[in-house]
Amino acid sequence: MSLYVASTLTNVALISFLALSAYLVLVVGEVSFGQQAFFGIGAYVTATVTAIFGGHVVVALLLSTIAGGLAALLLAALVIRLSGLYFAIASLCFAELLRLTLLRIRIPLEIDGRTTGMDGPEGFSNIRWIFENNFEVTDFLILTVLCLAALLVLLFFFERTTIMLRARLVGKDAILAQSLGIRPAQYRLAFIGLSGMVAGFGGALFALFNTHIEPQMFGVMLGVHALAYSIIGGLGAPLGPLIGVGIDIGLLESIRALSEYRMIAFGGLVAVLLILFPQGLLSPRVVNQLRARIWRRRV
Amino acid sequence: MDFLQTSIDGLLFGSAYALLALGFSLIFGIMKRINLAYGSSLLFGGALAVWLEPFLGGGALGLLLVTVFGAAVAGIYVERLCFSPHLGKTGTMASMIATFAIWMQLDEISSQLLPQRTHGFAGIDIEAISFAGIILRSDHVLHFWVAVLAIGALYWTLYRTRFGLLLRASADDPEIAYLLGGRVGLLGVATFAIAGFLGGTAAFLILSSDGQITPHFGLWSTFKGLVAMMLGGVGSLPGAIVGGLLLGFAEAHVTFYLGAEFRDILTFGLLLLILVLRPGGLMGVDVYRTGRLATERI
Repeated sequence: MSLYVASTLTNVALISFLALSAYLVLVVGEVSFGQQAFFGIGAYVTATVTAIFGGHVVVALLLSTIAGGLAALLLAALVIRLSGLYFAIASLCFAELLRLTLLRIRIPLEIDGRTTGMDGPEGFSNIRWIFENNFEVTDFLILTVLCLAALLVLLFFFERTTIMLRARLVGKDAILAQSLGIRPAQYRLAFIGLSGMVAGFGGALFALFNTHIEPQMFGVMLGVHALAYSIIGGLGAPLGPLIGVGIDIGLLESIRALSEYRMIAFGGLVAVLLILFPQGLLSPRVVNQLRARIWRRRV
Repeated sequence: MDFLQTSIDGLLFGSAYALLALGFSLIFGIMKRINLAYGSSLLFGGALAVWLEPFLGGGALGLLLVTVFGAAVAGIYVERLCFSPHLGKTGTMASMIATFAIWMQLDEISSQLLPQRTHGFAGIDIEAISFAGIILRSDHVLHFWVAVLAIGALYWTLYRTRFGLLLRASADDPEIAYLLGGRVGLLGVATFAIAGFLGGTAAFLILSSDGQITPHFGLWSTFKGLVAMMLGGVGSLPGAIVGGLLLGFAEAHVTFYLGAEFRDILTFGLLLLILVLRPGGLMGVDVYRTGRLATERI
């Protein structure tokens, strides 16, 4: 496998984590423009733990996941009263504040003659974990895909649990959920926290793979892309966001001939796709129909 | 004296923010949706004006007209592609993501129109006015008067014409507008055209005051308009004006006392604070409550 293909595929897998985290928020009926913040927090935590403190990578991944989850819980707790547009904008503010703060923090360090540590707009360089452990790009691809597959399997089983069904009900109709004794706020908090954990984990892998991270990587464009993937792919199943990622990056790569006009073609295509499939490709209805057909029973 | 000078500078510049926010608020008021491609349609207007400049006569006036009409045409394009196919309650998310896609598209088209990234944008030369020790930058004074005129025209249209009545009716309930004899689809197009006129005017003022245009202008104006609108209160026209002025005022003071790098931190910090403490914004509380009541069905 060529280096180019391997690193493109790794990027697809890494973005998929972010798309899945956006998916988890969408399931409870909220729209978040701020998932990139938790991705960024995960990346910075892992960078700090591995490059500065020389911690084990498992510890780093664990801490990143927890940090992403806690940050998401903090945001959710602040704005739990808000919904719809208000929540979306609040999450955007949160993410931008974090990015702007990271731009201000400058504590460069010299470790083994190399500059590392947070250095404002210059970013965090020399996260050398993959070099120190002799990870090739393909090795890292395998690691990332395994993690993603594990997450997908977890989500797949999670999909049929009562918790997930109730969360979907909260997303679909919070009043109805409330009248059935489900507390929407709890589900929102839990799922936003969960989405932060997924994003934090993805961000941690992102930092290890890129070896250099900077605040500008976690701008609003990243978060809105992740959101768009989930919506194009559909909210029926965890596979939806992945299809969205595949369509975007796959199409971007395949119509490279038009590279100059790539975004012009892609933007129009997405708009038309949404007119044809307003609920995304794998909408809940489509998923239910497929499920019924596979199990040969009527829903 | 510094305080007074900074306040006046901020308020004058804030009038351009108020125009941006008004366009946003108008679209939200009628459509109940957010238009992420708003800033990009303004960028498109500006880029088109710069691109056409060699063929245009009329100097600044020509630029203004092309910017405004370019923004309005881009706005109508957004409405046709992202809003009118997604009417109905389930379409909110789809139309938001569609506007995001069109945002990317318009940004890219504008970048193609501006191959050197940064292009000069002809300014308007008027001498600065000095009054009792306070210097008024003439371009900012112009901002203010143009904003006053545009807001006046908007209010006159909305509250003194039959067309404005139909628009306000369709903001409450499209069916009422239909029963009053309005064509709802056409009203949507008109809303986007008016928002494009307002935003295009604001874009021209800001660009000519900066003396340059870059492809970042799209994202910048989306953010500023959004923040100013949310500060004042979503869907409230007086709120948009107050929010814009407040944003200009606060930014001028933070830049003066703390430095330019804290300006954006303040912008988003202030907005987050207001959303947490007073989610409806300063003046949009009614809109916020009605929205909540409508979803709570009590």
